[in-house]
Amino acid sequence: MPKKKAKNRQGIEKKTGGTISRRNVLKIGATAGAATVLAPSMMTSKKALAFQGSVTEPVICVTPPTSPPHTPFADDFTAPFPAIDHPLNPQPTEFANLGAGEADRAPHPRWAQFTPAHTTTELEARAGLHTFHSDFSPTYVWGFNGKYPAPTVLNKYGKPTIVRFRNSLPVNTTTFGRNEITVHLHNGHHGSESDGFAGDFFGTGFWKDNHYLNCYAGLDAFGGNGDPNEKMGSFWFHDHRAEFTLNSNVLGLNGMFIVYDKTDPGHEHPSAGSLQLPGYYGVTDFPLILVDHRFCPTENGRTEMVNAAGGDKFIVNGKIQPKMTCRRQKYRFRILNTGPTQTYDITLIKPDGSVGTIVVIATDANFLEHPIPVDDGANAGNSNSNTNPIVPGGLRVSVAERWDIIIDFAEFEAGDKVYLKERRTMFVGNPSPDPLPPGLDIGNVLMQFNVVNREPWFPKDTPPIPSTLCTYPTLPPPDTTFEWQFVRDPVGSVPRLFRINDRAFDAEVPQHCILQNTTEEWLLNNNVGGSGWTHPVHIHFEEFRTLKRFVNGVEVPVPPLHSGRKDVSRLEAGQGALIRMQFRDISGRYLIHCHNMAHEDAFMMVRWDIVPDAAAKAACDALIVEGRKEFESKVRNEEVA
Amino acid sequence: MDRRTIFTKVFEPHPASPGISRYTNAVLRTQDNKEVRFYDDLIKGKQAVINFMYADCHGACPLVTTVIKRTYRDLKDRMGKDLFFYSITIKPEDDTPAALKHYAQLRKADLPGWYFLTGDSYDIETIRFRLFGMNHPGFDLDAAMHAGTLRIINDARNTWLMVEAFASQKAILKRISWADPQKSYAERVVESRARQILINNDVKKYGYRRDV
Repeated sequence: MPKKKAKNRQGIEKKTGGTISRRNVLKIGATAGAATVLAPSMMTSKKALAFQGSVTEPVICVTPPTSPPHTPFADDFTAPFPAIDHPLNPQPTEFANLGAGEADRAPHPRWAQFTPAHTTTELEARAGLHTFHSDFSPTYVWGFNGKYPAPTVLNKYGKPTIVRFRNSLPVNTTTFGRNEITVHLHNGHHGSESDGFAGDFFGTGFWKDNHYLNCYAGLDAFGGNGDPNEKMGSFWFHDHRAEFTLNSNVLGLNGMFIVYDKTDPGHEHPSAGSLQLPGYYGVTDFPLILVDHRFCPTENGRTEMVNAAGGDKFIVNGKIQPKMTCRRQKYRFRILNTGPTQTYDITLIKPDGSVGTIVVIATDANFLEHPIPVDDGANAGNSNSNTNPIVPGGLRVSVAERWDIIIDFAEFEAGDKVYLKERRTMFVGNPSPDPLPPGLDIGNVLMQFNVVNREPWFPKDTPPIPSTLCTYPTLPPPDTTFEWQFVRDPVGSVPRLFRINDRAFDAEVPQHCILQNTTEEWLLNNNVGGSGWTHPVHIHFEEFRTLKRFVNGVEVPVPPLHSGRKDVSRLEAGQGALIRMQFRDISGRYLIHCHNMAHEDAFMMVRWDIVPDAAAKAACDALIVEGRKEFESKVRNEEVA
Repeated sequence: MDRRTIFTKVFEPHPASPGISRYTNAVLRTQDNKEVRFYDDLIKGKQAVINFMYADCHGACPLVTTVIKRTYRDLKDRMGKDLFFYSITIKPEDDTPAALKHYAQLRKADLPGWYFLTGDSYDIETIRFRLFGMNHPGFDLDAAMHAGTLRIINDARNTWLMVEAFASQKAILKRISWADPQKSYAERVVESRARQILINNDVKKYGYRRDV
């Protein structure tokens, strides 16, 4: 690889701080162009990355303090830099390439049809430094390619890909992280070996290829690349290591993953089938990745984060209270809450202090059939923050949920300042440099939009949002039904923790076996034993439809924002949901779990298997019976010889 | 001191040893009435599995004791050498060393490397908070809550894990192994290759990776 080009890439990353600004994207020619320009420089990853050097371990903040003060709106809101496609060396293989340092794994399914061609990339988990605010010194993080947020992977349907995850985390660490990873793509339709199964983690020094088919679900039924009505867009990837998911996600091991197709092509030209939504990544289309942290200055001159959940700074795309310049036109934001535990209630605050309109176009990566506007006036009924605490006009974002929204800044004047508000209050410590709208506390502000007129070089506004965005696939009637009970409370003599159907997470035993290419109806029930907890329940592998919702066992109408295809179902205390989903194309081990990462790590996670045929189903069911027997013998206090 | 204050003081630094401040170095007594310091003698540099119980418990405690006994048998070669089990009473006012000795003997659990511990009730409450504090303070307000869980610690590796006593035995042993001392890359390569053979057999047998 020519050295000169490697330098070029470093230069760009250095200049942009590893993130991509609107100007930089335009300079290097939109996203696909950026990838092409930069691709050769990534060919020998090890050499290219060597310049990073090693990052010294943090000094641990032992007393949870109040974070240092910061000045609001000092930093720019930017999109994470796109991951760069480049050929992998050695080439990806169907079977684990142990000789070349790959971790053990099952073979990639459907390899012959979905052999990745040129769209492959490598993400290396390693320690890095990230500056969360320009008032702060750098912070020790674990990031993919050392960056927080991780580079965004931009893919296309019909182009199968390999993301090679390399584990270069520190061998010994003083942080609360664990140097073993297993990366889940939430919520991809791919084999279990690439699904970040919580028990299949690998240690430092190894790498592992995750094979993403970038196909629509329904390969067997529809042939080719599956059923285009199964289209998804806003994925995210994160470490899923059992018992340490919270830890590694707090440290920074997560990022956005976007898959385009012709309806949503990643540009705004009037191409065939395109919905012409705001679509230039980093220009008019931004991930909006939320997390909270608590910081403390340490004697090593850095501002380290406290090793715990529950922050007093809210962070958007890696910055505290950033500002963004917006032209008077439509923008798309792909909101993602990476938790680890908190729920956000987001409202748009207009300069006069009233609540503005957010148009939701997609729920968890799936377009809604029809866009749903949310505000506290005419569209108040659409708010999903209408349970306690009630946030008028709010969009409630549970951990791991994605909400693609469009904000139209055309209704504002140049010079207006518009705010994204969160229900909870963060510690700021310094006054706002700009006067805030009446009634808005600076502690509730997530970010600021500065409205300006469009410059001639900036893309023109897109046409009005189409009233119909997609058609949902028809779900066949269920072959069987099943109930998942989410329980925390003690029942009977055996004390209970966070469990699903009596059981704590056990990677070794499935709790449910499903015959491949069948449909099931599942009751997700958080109304057992008087639950007092909220659980955002996530199901891997395919998207579901919510047929019914329940509150304290009584059926209630499905709220509009829950009516679409989703992969996270927020169940507040006493709530339940009847969902229907299919299990097609691939067999393997998958998970259902609460995505509050503290609950997930405290065992609220269950393995279920998709099995290829009746014989495997019988063998799998026997495994459940065996597991149940062992559990019961333990509960009966039987001595085992 | 009220319970919440104890919780918030969990991570208060100790100038001499961060380990002590994390775990407390309270003096406890074993079933043989031997004095031990919690951090210095029981935790420092060691791998340990800890549960809470009390002798007069007729709920989960005896069940968990049975599970630990089975685990002890499975890991017998390591017990008392680089792996230790600690069963700490949450009713120290009732459970004297003699009472714990009686409990252990009755259940044939009076074994080398497995200590039944009692001590000052304030110290024991502090230990409970510190060992289980990472999940939620609300957990620890209920005396019954933690009987079913085993805390796995490897101080040398700065590792904390938890496993449910009623999980499969395979899962318990695997979870304890997650706290084993860090293996070298070469050792892990050997493990990985062995596992790959099992995975291949599994895929051949069931059509997918099932048991490995």
